[in-house]
Amino acid sequence: MGALERKPLPTMITEPPTALLFQGGQIAGEDSPRLETADVLVQGDRIVRVGPGLQGPPGTRFLDCRGCIVMPSMFDVHVHAREPGREDKETIATCSEAAINGGVTGMVLMPNTTPAIDSGSLVQSVLDTAREKARIAVWQTGCITKGRLGQELAAIAGMKAKGVPMITDDGNPVSNANVLRRAMEYALDFDLPLASHCETMELSHGGAMNEGRMSYQLGIPGIPACSEEICLSRDLRLAQFTGAHVHIQHVSSARGMETIRRFKNEGVRVTCEVAPHHLLFHDGDIGDYDTHYKMNPPLRTPEDNESLLEGLIEGVFDVIATDHAPHTEFEKKYDFVNAPFGITGLETALVSLYHHFVKTGKFGWDLVVKRYSAEPRRVIKLDPVPVREGGVAEFIVFDPARKTRFTKAFMRSKSSNTPFLDQELDGMVACVVRNGEVLLER
Amino acid sequence: MSIGTKRAPSERKDLLDIQSLSVAEIEFLLETAVPFKELFSRSVKKVPSLRGKTVLTLFYEPSTRTLSSFEIAANRLSADVTNFSVSTSSVVKGETILDTIETLQSMRIDYIVIRHSVSGVPNLVARHTRASVLNAGDGFHAHPTQALLDAFTLREVTGDLGGRRVLIVGDLLHSRVARSTSQIFRKLGTEVGVMGPATLIPRTRHDFLRRFTDWEEAMAWKPDAIYLLRVQLERQKEQFFPSIGEYHRLYGLTTERLRRMSDAGIYLMHPGPVNRGVEICDEAMAYERSLINRQVENGIAVRMAALYWLTPGHGCPGT
Repeated sequence: MGALERKPLPTMITEPPTALLFQGGQIAGEDSPRLETADVLVQGDRIVRVGPGLQGPPGTRFLDCRGCIVMPSMFDVHVHAREPGREDKETIATCSEAAINGGVTGMVLMPNTTPAIDSGSLVQSVLDTAREKARIAVWQTGCITKGRLGQELAAIAGMKAKGVPMITDDGNPVSNANVLRRAMEYALDFDLPLASHCETMELSHGGAMNEGRMSYQLGIPGIPACSEEICLSRDLRLAQFTGAHVHIQHVSSARGMETIRRFKNEGVRVTCEVAPHHLLFHDGDIGDYDTHYKMNPPLRTPEDNESLLEGLIEGVFDVIATDHAPHTEFEKKYDFVNAPFGITGLETALVSLYHHFVKTGKFGWDLVVKRYSAEPRRVIKLDPVPVREGGVAEFIVFDPARKTRFTKAFMRSKSSNTPFLDQELDGMVACVVRNGEVLLER
Repeated sequence: MSIGTKRAPSERKDLLDIQSLSVAEIEFLLETAVPFKELFSRSVKKVPSLRGKTVLTLFYEPSTRTLSSFEIAANRLSADVTNFSVSTSSVVKGETILDTIETLQSMRIDYIVIRHSVSGVPNLVARHTRASVLNAGDGFHAHPTQALLDAFTLREVTGDLGGRRVLIVGDLLHSRVARSTSQIFRKLGTEVGVMGPATLIPRTRHDFLRRFTDWEEAMAWKPDAIYLLRVQLERQKEQFFPSIGEYHRLYGLTTERLRRMSDAGIYLMHPGPVNRGVEICDEAMAYERSLINRQVENGIAVRMAALYWLTPGHGCPGT
């Protein structure tokens, strides 16, 4: 058969998309802990009706949501998708599937790939891949400095033109205060927030865990909390001085958080994030050198866990972000000092927040929606996606009555380096909808 | 009991640190070492306890005395001893260790004696092998057989460790010996004091150690033994103290201080090898209450006890 004799393409049948009716779920929003029982009717990419006893047009698919929470889908502003460069750990495609598995339909990728994303063309290439491979919204951040080396400014205008929502050297701080000052001033004209990985390298050098009683006991070189605190103070003072918007990433220490609170009260443009693992785990969990508890910044103390949780409830933290950091099983099997920093988070975050905090009454679904769905979108100047009439259909159905076991088979990420591996927690992401399309249903 | 008996649930597979040992286990090990030491004065120093067993020494850090001590201990128990030579330059990461362990697993080794510069590597190895793992020193973490020989030695000369006082002098922060030795003494009822520059004393010391800042204060505490740690000269590039001279002047065992130790009848201990003129003066090597050589001799006895203890059927009952 010759190349020209292709079979004709099937003729497109223009049928109206099936309407979806989510029945009897309890709708959660960011403004009130109250849950409202209502049906949600989706047609096309929109929520067309929200209310009790809804009927759909002929052909409507009914989804039974009784006993479930229906809420805007999650959005993660701190994700390492490892592409380009370390596709053995994760790709944009697998990362996107992992996100869906965890109820997340938008993610912001960090630029510490190989090569580092420090130019418009590199941003473009990631976004091209994402358009082709990802089933969720993907945003790529750009570096502050070329190659993330902390010396020369990266192509900020070029990256902005390609749509970066934020610049960051995440993984490293910009150690030279003068370079950071210039970057802040320059970024002002582009209305780009600078995301700060706060670490004083001279203080943390060689460290693999929080410095304290546990590190002494295990004989592991420590990273003192002041390594984060000093850099964080410096960055906030520079933000105050320059007027730039600084977003403090993965705050791990209570004192660091208190510093942010103080500067926020002084009107400095600062937003900040906390990772679920810094709320849930502490350095004592490392136990017998378990590398699933090794990340940077490191897990601190139970007192830090408690303070960070209070800070989250009081609103010091703008967003919850996972710092999803996939690594191969092989690498995580190194000894504790040589194993890489980081754990995955996209698939476990929501269920673990439910299991440990919502179910136990520490906070309500409104906080989850506000901090892991609405505010993260606002940080990068997007509109939130509340479940309401006329809104875009971008929500999830969460079933508190079911359980999730985080086995390797469950995980869609290429990596399974998480402390939750093989643990069973209460709650399950039962359905994920984006632009009216059901991305996951179980 | 015959060798090769299945390990009872209460019996340990590995000796990784002192922290996790109960007092009863420590007592058992120290008691077991006594008859082993008695062997040393016989013309035939060997017993058949570990006949047919294979002990492999895996040292990723240079060592002469600990390695020889383990080899002699294993020989005197009639085990077959092999040294798996590893060049430190070619092996840096844990994954190659796990590859090595995989290989050793196929060789049906019974005991692995391991030393490594990274804390926790023996724990990692222990998790991945059926062999018994004996930690011969890992990073800053632990050196359990050193602690056992220290406790054995001091008890031998003082009769009882309860209520005794030991002053440890030097770099506590980077010392696995200090960690394990202070733990064993505390478990056996001995008070532990420490002295050294603030940069080398762990910040969390308040939880468990009494700190002295000078010799006057420390001597007034009336220790039964002073345990000098080796000053790791290679750390000096990080400037934990201004100079060797200043260290010697402030914390070193000078001739004058040695005289006062002698007057007070204080024992002297050191894990070796010593840096003469740094933490210790020449004269101290001939000090009448120096336990340094005795520590070396006892090292063999406690290592025999440790190997014996980890053999299925020999473990400490009721722990």
